[in-house]
Amino acid sequence: MAESKISPYSLNDLKNTTDDAMGNYLRGLKFKQDNSKLDFRLAVGYTSVIIAGALFAADYKLGWEATKGWTAYAVAAYALLNATFTYWMWGVEKGLVFEGTKNGKKVTLASKTKKHDPTYYLTVTTRASSSSANSSTRQLKAPFTTWFTADGYFVAQPFQKWLAGSVNAIGEEDVKNASVDEKVLAPSPNGAAMATSVDTPTSSSKRNKKKG
Amino acid sequence: MQPRQLAAQILNFALVLSTAFMLWKGLSVVTDSSSPIVVVLSGSMEPAFQRGDLLFLWNRGMDTQVGEIVVYNVRGKDIPIVHRVVRRFGGGDSPLHLLTKGDNNAADDTELYARGQSYLDRSQDVVGSVVGYVPFVGYVTILLSEYPWLKKVMLGFMALTVVMQRE
Repeated sequence: MAESKISPYSLNDLKNTTDDAMGNYLRGLKFKQDNSKLDFRLAVGYTSVIIAGALFAADYKLGWEATKGWTAYAVAAYALLNATFTYWMWGVEKGLVFEGTKNGKKVTLASKTKKHDPTYYLTVTTRASSSSANSSTRQLKAPFTTWFTADGYFVAQPFQKWLAGSVNAIGEEDVKNASVDEKVLAPSPNGAAMATSVDTPTSSSKRNKKKG
Repeated sequence: MQPRQLAAQILNFALVLSTAFMLWKGLSVVTDSSSPIVVVLSGSMEPAFQRGDLLFLWNRGMDTQVGEIVVYNVRGKDIPIVHRVVRRFGGGDSPLHLLTKGDNNAADDTELYARGQSYLDRSQDVVGSVVGYVPFVGYVTILLSEYPWLKKVMLGFMALTVVMQRE
């Protein structure tokens, strides 16, 4: 994933690259991805586009006078679908990046950034998928410098370590990344000592704060 | 890129276009006009309207009075014309007929009407009465209609930017 260079000053690029990497990472860990929320949004969106397209075709062929009555219904339906679409994005998906299950554990990851703040905010919800009541939600955050080099290359390892070390459900599936993190953290709670054992120097102190 | 991600990005672009179209149609429904916003193409209404002015139309008040500015289509041609009503005949139970003239023209519009037509039928020919305007901003569409290749360039450019970068 680190093949392409982005501008480290573009918050959008940082977030999108990280989101993509997170999906790839979890798919790589054989989490079975659940796309139902995105699929619903796509279905609603494409339905509304089809309505608009049909109205456009009817208007083009038959003219205004003939389509007048239908136009009102089509506009109302379109407005309704569009409202659903918007609600779904902001109220249900809330920045959802990945939802997937492995070994009976379900992980839901939603990310966001704040304006002019180069920090990756991640909302992690984990639950044992058999009993849906038993779920826990956690807010994580880390500066993008943890896994981006100064010239804009994404480095997978510190990112995977951060994720595996912070989220148990992922750590259990990627013991190597998780355990390295634990090992490092245990003896040295201060960031300075850590820097040597983790690949990117910038990553250390922030990750420490999270654990502590 | 994941196929769903691609589908979502194409959808974003399609939604921009379809929402613009549906807003236009929604305005059509509210104003009861096939074309609720028009651009002045000629100077025949100067000094009231210049080329490129954007006009907002309303087509629900059917009892058009002398002095109102209306937009009408000449039968058999699809060119909207913006001119002022100077005479009205009928109305009430009988169909309302109008005679129009451009403020800047020497003669009334009888010459412009279709062959054999000497007045406008309010309910058939008129697209709407002018209720508001914004000067000059419609000039882009004059450019687009006089240089059609600009349309393709613009559409292609829009498609590219939306697909290439996420919002």
